[in-house]
Amino acid sequence: MTAGSGVAIPFPMTSSDDPSAEGVVGTWFALDGEAVTEGQLIAEVQLDKVSQDVHAPSAGALRHAVAEGVGVAQGGVIGHID
Amino acid sequence: MTATETPTSEGTRRITTAKAMAEAIALEMRNDPNVFVMGEDVGAYGGIFGSTTDLFAEFGADRVIDTPISETAFIGAGIGAATEGMRPVVELMFIDFYGVCMDQITNHMAKIHYESGGAVKVPMVLMAATGAGYSDAAQHSQSLWGTFAHLPGIKVVAPSNPYDAKGLMASAIRDDNPVLYLFHKGAQGLVWMAKNPRSIAHVPEEAYTVPIGEAAVAKEGSDVTIVTISLSVQHSLDVAEKLEGEGISVEVIDLRSLVPLDTETVLASVAKTGKLLVVDEDYKSYGMTGEIAAIVAETDPTMLSKPMVRLAVPDVPIPYARTMEYGILPTRDKIEAAVRELAS
Repeated sequence: MTAGSGVAIPFPMTSSDDPSAEGVVGTWFALDGEAVTEGQLIAEVQLDKVSQDVHAPSAGALRHAVAEGVGVAQGGVIGHID
Repeated sequence: MTATETPTSEGTRRITTAKAMAEAIALEMRNDPNVFVMGEDVGAYGGIFGSTTDLFAEFGADRVIDTPISETAFIGAGIGAATEGMRPVVELMFIDFYGVCMDQITNHMAKIHYESGGAVKVPMVLMAATGAGYSDAAQHSQSLWGTFAHLPGIKVVAPSNPYDAKGLMASAIRDDNPVLYLFHKGAQGLVWMAKNPRSIAHVPEEAYTVPIGEAAVAKEGSDVTIVTISLSVQHSLDVAEKLEGEGISVEVIDLRSLVPLDTETVLASVAKTGKLLVVDEDYKSYGMTGEIAAIVAETDPTMLSKPMVRLAVPDVPIPYARTMEYGILPTRDKIEAAVRELAS
């Protein structure tokens, strides 16, 4: 787990009713440090029992910014592509 | 046994069991316009346990059909479509709901091919969620594969991991016989349920099949054989890896299907280890554990160097209260204790 730089991966907006609601990364499909391709499925996030897939915004090395199960605000950074 | 098809967490394309199922259905739907999906909440919702996620967006309401709560009607409709040459994938949500539609399943889906003298085929997949562990109580937690394996005319499969889930679904859809495809809720890799990392693994992007009727040696070992299926395979592998460090070598056989049953792989393993534990999340009496015991006894009871052990749900309704529920389920602790006893 590193702070990372490069392209930030935000937690998607999933609750328009409550933009301040926090969610979690339910599953990291791609591991910390792993090389990913643009568009690859890398994570599944969850907020109020609604889950959503997150795809890599670009190719590169994925750095997790949060572990599975840790609270993240919508729009907050869950990881980076270096 | 197919050593080459042993699932692996290697590779970077990791997905959940649920996504693997939906991916297999999508690939078959793209290749064959006769394949369609029908059931409760299979459309926009994507299946309450994720088995049809994203299919509605790609294929639309004509090929991914949400039904009313009318199991007899929509399973009957699926059977009719299958006899006319289509390949329906029908979801019965929870296998526990079989009670309201059993006539369609056992007297029609399973028997039409026989009663027509082989003239009519029923190439249909009936899929349903099984299993306990999350306090869904006695009417939403059963496994019940033994009930359907007992009745002639239906193939019965139950995958334990993403790779097999995709390959067995492809085989089930392409099969000209009715196939009951039972997926364990606790092995789907869903984010809102406690999940074992084994429910997320590398799955090739392209279409492939896993043959129905071939067990997998999920882990090789020499001291004790565990024969099991579905989520209990994940528990058994956890126990086997733990005990390996103590010098107890456990072989885990994932049956993958109960009908057909791969007796050859079971017998080869028992002949090697001489010690047998059968782990089943279904009820104990008149079920899978007794069937495996009978096959060993009929073949050669002297293969066993110790009496075999059966670990299954002890013929009671699945309790709601979590401590009571885990009291009757075949948990890792109970599997470990049984292996230690056999190995001692």
